[in-house]
Amino acid sequence: MKNLLLLLCIFTASLSLAQEVKFGKVSKAELSEAFYEKDSSASAVVLFRNISHKFNYIQNDGFHLVTHVHERIKIYNKNGFDYATISEALYHDGSTREALQGLKGYTYTLEEGEIVKTKLKSSESFTSSVNKYYDQEKFTMPNVKEGCVIEYQYRLDSPFWYSVDEIALQLDIPVKYQDVSIAIPEYFSFKPNFKGYLGVMPKYSKSNAKINYTSKTRTGNRMHARTNFSNEAIDYTLNTTQFLMEDVPALKEEPYVNDMDNYRAAVNYELQYVQFPNSIRESYSTTWEKVVEKIYKSDYFGKQLALSKYFRDDLAQIMANVQGDADLAAAIFHHVQQRMSWNGLNSHYTYNGVKEAYKEKSGNTADINLMLAAMLREAGLEANPVLISTRDNGIPLFPTREGFNYVVVALELGESMLFLDASNKYTKPNLLPIRALNWMGRVIKKDGTHVSVGVRPRSLSREGNMADIQLNLDGTIEGKMRKSYTEYRAYNFRNIYNKVSEEDYLEKFENKHGGIEVSDYTIKNRNTIGKPITEDFSFYMEDQLAVTGDKIYFSPLFFHTMTENPFKLEDRKFPIDFAYPWRDNCMFTITIPQGYEVDFLPESIKMSLPENAGSFVYRLAQKGNKIQVMADLKINEALIPAESYAVVKELFSKIVEKESEKVVLSKTSENEHTERSAGGR
Amino acid sequence: MRPFYIYLLLFCSLISFGQEADYRISAISPELLKNANAVYRLDEMKIHLNSSRDMRSTFKQVVTVLNELGNKHANMSVHYDKERKVKSIEAYVYDSNGKELERIKRKDFQDVSAVDGFSLYVDDRRLYYNYTPVQYPYTLEFSYEVETSDTGLFPSWYFLPGYTASVEKSIYSVSYGNESLKPIVKEHHLEGIEVTRTETPGITSFTARNIPAVKKESLSPSFRKIAPKVAIRLPKFHFKGYDAAIDSWDDLGVWIHNHLLKEQTELPEHTKTEIRGLMKGVTDPLEKAKIVYDYVQENTRYISVQIGIGGFKPISAMEVDRVKYGDCKGLSNYAKALLSVVGVDAYYVHVQAGPDKVDFEEDFADLVQGNHAILAIPYNDMYYWVDCTSQVHPFGFVGDFTDDRKVLVVKPDGGEIVKTVSYLNKENHQHTRARLSLNAQGGIQAEVSIQTRGTQYDNHFKIEDDTPEEIDKHYKEYWGNINNLKLESYSFKNDQDSVLFEENVTLIAENYASNSGERILFTPNAFNRNDYVPNRHRTRKLPFEIQRGYMDEDEFEIVLPEGYSIEAMPSPVKVETEFGHYLTELIHEEESGTILYKRSLFIKQGDYSKEKYKAYRAFRKQVAANDNAKIVLIRSKT
Repeated sequence: MKNLLLLLCIFTASLSLAQEVKFGKVSKAELSEAFYEKDSSASAVVLFRNISHKFNYIQNDGFHLVTHVHERIKIYNKNGFDYATISEALYHDGSTREALQGLKGYTYTLEEGEIVKTKLKSSESFTSSVNKYYDQEKFTMPNVKEGCVIEYQYRLDSPFWYSVDEIALQLDIPVKYQDVSIAIPEYFSFKPNFKGYLGVMPKYSKSNAKINYTSKTRTGNRMHARTNFSNEAIDYTLNTTQFLMEDVPALKEEPYVNDMDNYRAAVNYELQYVQFPNSIRESYSTTWEKVVEKIYKSDYFGKQLALSKYFRDDLAQIMANVQGDADLAAAIFHHVQQRMSWNGLNSHYTYNGVKEAYKEKSGNTADINLMLAAMLREAGLEANPVLISTRDNGIPLFPTREGFNYVVVALELGESMLFLDASNKYTKPNLLPIRALNWMGRVIKKDGTHVSVGVRPRSLSREGNMADIQLNLDGTIEGKMRKSYTEYRAYNFRNIYNKVSEEDYLEKFENKHGGIEVSDYTIKNRNTIGKPITEDFSFYMEDQLAVTGDKIYFSPLFFHTMTENPFKLEDRKFPIDFAYPWRDNCMFTITIPQGYEVDFLPESIKMSLPENAGSFVYRLAQKGNKIQVMADLKINEALIPAESYAVVKELFSKIVEKESEKVVLSKTSENEHTERSAGGR
Repeated sequence: MRPFYIYLLLFCSLISFGQEADYRISAISPELLKNANAVYRLDEMKIHLNSSRDMRSTFKQVVTVLNELGNKHANMSVHYDKERKVKSIEAYVYDSNGKELERIKRKDFQDVSAVDGFSLYVDDRRLYYNYTPVQYPYTLEFSYEVETSDTGLFPSWYFLPGYTASVEKSIYSVSYGNESLKPIVKEHHLEGIEVTRTETPGITSFTARNIPAVKKESLSPSFRKIAPKVAIRLPKFHFKGYDAAIDSWDDLGVWIHNHLLKEQTELPEHTKTEIRGLMKGVTDPLEKAKIVYDYVQENTRYISVQIGIGGFKPISAMEVDRVKYGDCKGLSNYAKALLSVVGVDAYYVHVQAGPDKVDFEEDFADLVQGNHAILAIPYNDMYYWVDCTSQVHPFGFVGDFTDDRKVLVVKPDGGEIVKTVSYLNKENHQHTRARLSLNAQGGIQAEVSIQTRGTQYDNHFKIEDDTPEEIDKHYKEYWGNINNLKLESYSFKNDQDSVLFEENVTLIAENYASNSGERILFTPNAFNRNDYVPNRHRTRKLPFEIQRGYMDEDEFEIVLPEGYSIEAMPSPVKVETEFGHYLTELIHEEESGTILYKRSLFIKQGDYSKEKYKAYRAFRKQVAANDNAKIVLIRSKT
């Protein structure tokens, strides 16, 4: 599994020399190209892409991060028209805002052998306000047709120079050539963090730059003041990183990947420190220590963790009613979980602040879980926050502040460590919401020290199906069934179905299972978190048997047969993500109708995946007038590497094949005797 | 003086509402809790018209949300634009005992662009607030007041706002300063609810009470078709700077033509020359229209930008010609302008688009109806309908997006309500033919051809433009019943003139059939299994509809492996119902060792009563079961 963490070194062609591409110099060859020879399925391709990040000094305002964008895109067919619409998110914060400037764009088409240029008007770019913090600037190119080439350039000016957005090195369409660079003044130290499955080879260089500024000095006294202006310059070094890449393949969607963006080749720059001449180095994040320290010291984290007055009265009441650490912890967890509603926002920084959140009974994940940690601590328990990156935020391989976006609680009870998250009504100790299951987290202790811990669930989440089934000669079956769900299976069940009425749930259940009819339904532990949910019911279902002549044929798992392989693609590049290990098993007892005997039973089999990542056992046996069927599918690993895709696909294909094999029953000869003798009377 | 008086009255009644109302959940009648995720305790819109250019509306909604699924009824959002100003807005949240939990003031609302999810830009804006419920049930009281000079658009008032919500009290009232402002009212489906109408000089109002929740059921008609609602319109109104006096669709047609279309049809000379150049030797107007449609498809694309009156007025043909994009209005108008250059008549059409067929109402001419624009081209006493927003559809084929419904055709001398083309029953045809060889290991090798017409054409032909990966995925899903399917080859033929799509596919699949000892079991219907059975409802309440009929015919020739004989084979099926028919036939030809499987499924368009639902379900169950029926082969004893 370790190798998943490593970047696979499929290097794309790296170039040593940058190409000089002038804006507006589009060739007839580019315009007449009918498809991209390296990926003929591409509906569009980036011919050229130059993204350069520069830090400009603006007097009286300080540094700005200016991103120069110049892209030239070839659009082969209608499916590629979407790439002619460009949108940029612009952050603003009170009076300071990011801006898109200097927009210039042309569409080139070939008309009767001549290149025709159509200009993008600046009035055709629109700004919409999306929310309190973001605007969106959007434009679409004019005169877009199959075969055209579009080209545009603009600058993104950001006063928030310390925050560099992720720089994508791989797009949803192929890139023929790109030159992406960032030039950082010596005063700033940024740490690059790479991600994705594409090897990249950055080129580093140094150069000299100057800041020109006007200084003024005042001389004289108040009555006779004189101001002198002088132009001065400061020399400094620029550290440039450049990515020159050719023929970058498109990032293509694959099923069972939690978020494709996690696999996109990209680089993130995280500020480590700032050091201006003759001043003290101001440090940001260099190591996990720094990252954690920064977060811990934040008003929205550490300070929140230290507050306790707001819950004291409630806590005293809880403490008065329970004894023992385990019960106390459970009671506190229960209290926070019941009291608080999650507002749908993930963060490791509080939204309303714990005090306000406690009062309003709603908050983000940090409001809720930092409050939980504080209460546990106040009650004398060893509880610490755990920083986490959610599944859609990428895997925190490197120390970064922005790598974390979530916080849960680690509680130490005796020898064991339990993870708690009270932001969902159906979690329990050691069962975190699925969004938080992403490899590992960092526990921060009271003294600021921290360790990495794995948060992936180890226990199997199980769905069990037990049934006693009677076969009727009209092709119907009936029987009694018990279904049970544990861990994440129960968690999912509760999250999805506890909000609907039993009648609605049963209708959904019946329709999902091909029109099975359910009666005498009871459910246990629907709300008793920690205990498995069990459902008991009687059922009736039509058209489950083929009764022809003196034979009966049926698939012995009936409506529980896996009929389609979920894995259809021939191969894949990214790991299969099941989120948690699971087990699905069936134990059916089928009564052989009177007058019939077993003619054929499918062969039992046992299969497993390499390294015990999963297994499937299918067993059929006759015992007297009963057939016992057992199907047991286990996936022991939440994440299975792409290299194992073929075997996983094969396993599921075999399951589909085995489960659809038919049991054959035939009329017994004695039966014929009795019938005949009966007929004879 | 009178308007002023009424205005005061309106204001007083507003003030008289407030906290003293009983928002306890215990006060809700049990009848209204049944099937409900939310209860509208009060849903009230009071509109006052001072003049045709001055309208003030006060809105108040009190909703008790019973569970998580009811949250979508807890709406706290209002749109505004240049003409429409939000004068006040606020909300309160109460717990189940009616105790105030939170007050949301104007400054707490977010003020953002009214992004619609598909437009490049919309200049309308929206005030909204996202509330996180902290307990269920809770009650939300939301009110706002808006002022506008636009009096041309009155959205219908729904006394029941949607499925699984009930209503305690719903009030819709319009007051007006003088008789010339008296609105025209049309009622829909009020017969089943408790409603009182008040009509006094200067005021028209409706109050409905105690409407129980309705549950959505499979195949039930769309909510807007069955919902109790009233629509109003003003005979004289003002809209985005234009005055109008409208008595009929005729008038509205003229108004649309004069104010929204007439001046938008100029084209640059070079384009006129170009389009004329394409007509060399063509005289038939329909042929010309096809050339223009191809030209528009080739040269433009759909991009929506909504500014000012842009919701109704197309951007000029000149502008579309320059940027080569536009929304439905812009592209229709552009095509119309091009057609007129080459002497072909075409009319601009307002239509309510979507798979659900919604008619324009013949006796109620207003601007609210319709959400899309297309063209009608008259030819030989009929209309050809053309949707210029499609990059791929053949000329004159609109698929299930705008078919079979009444629309407004805008002619320079007046509007006209006309029904669009319908694709009926057997016209929506699919013919699947296959030759399939089965081997002794259970694997198959097959050549399949699928021909589709009508709406079935619409469902299939777009695959033509897909990438090889998408095509591979498509067939693996289309034939999801075939485990281990591998495509060997495929080709397509799209005959746009006769709207006929043909797919030719060869494939293999290991273990298609299952081997059970001496036997091989397989389903002869390999390529067109229909296992759709509408949901079972313990007690069906609503009627149901089959919006579009279709007919599938299949012929599969199955070559059996050598050394096997047939042990069991499904019997032929012949079912005729009022919903359609289902026929299968299996012919074993021993000499050639083949089985010929023939199938025909016909589903008929229609509206049916709830009593017939069970019979329809039974029919579909029969189809599903027989489509899965198996042939059993047994190894011959030698």
